[in-house]
Amino acid sequence: MTVGRSKTTKVGIISCSGEEIAEGTISRSAVRRVLESLRPDETVTLCLPLFLAGNEGERNFARTHPTITIDGCDKQCARWGTEKHGGPVARALVVSDILGGKAAGCGRSARSRRPADKEAVRLVAEEIASAVDAILGRDG
Amino acid sequence: MKSDCDKVLVIPCSGVGKVHGLISRESAYLATDELASDDTGVVCLALLVREDEEAMAKVRAHPCITVDGCGKACAQKNVEIAGGQVAKAFQVAAALRNHQGTQPGTGSELTDEGWAICREIAEAVAQAAARLCAGEEVAQ
Repeated sequence: MTVGRSKTTKVGIISCSGEEIAEGTISRSAVRRVLESLRPDETVTLCLPLFLAGNEGERNFARTHPTITIDGCDKQCARWGTEKHGGPVARALVVSDILGGKAAGCGRSARSRRPADKEAVRLVAEEIASAVDAILGRDG
Repeated sequence: MKSDCDKVLVIPCSGVGKVHGLISRESAYLATDELASDDTGVVCLALLVREDEEAMAKVRAHPCITVDGCGKACAQKNVEIAGGQVAKAFQVAAALRNHQGTQPGTGSELTDEGWAICREIAEAVAQAAARLCAGEEVAQ
């Protein structure tokens, strides 16, 4: 997909739901950081399960705007679901690729956030923000 | 320790936009990690969206408890689309109606009030799981 598909300044970010694994929690927390702090004016989030549940609003946004998927593992459920119901994604990021073994010390619940969790979220959020900039032609 | 075939599956919402999704996931983790760890396990909702054969077979073979954030009920709908049986469906939005005026937090972080609501939902999930494991009916 090219940026020319939409003249919008908004990029849709679709996170893995990955409730079974720490990487899923990292992906959602990193998306929240991008939405709240790093690129609040350029990004919105779309809900992956709503694609299959038949929500046309989510599907239409994904068809008409550039999207970035953030998956926890190489099954890439967010990418698969977005491409099936909304069209090709602009960027597909995978937490386990970004972090390598650094996710090993992370937890899946916010009850027990440790420095390793925070650092993992920071690294992934910065990757997402860089991808947003690249899509919008604002890098460099 | 129970064998996997005796487990009740807990499937939380994946929403990242509001506090509701975070409450649903933390309630699920509290139930499956602490309150009813022998009786329950979590399944990634995204794997059902992705039509992952292993995950779909799992939800067809076990009783499921869904914890949705809102009335769109993505977790419940996706379990049903996968052919699973939802023995009990919880909704965070409904629980929050019983706590008018509370400030549960955001999609990124819960307040003490938010954690208390999580515990309340988690206890209800654990009770429902115990009844299901005992072969008893659970009222919707």
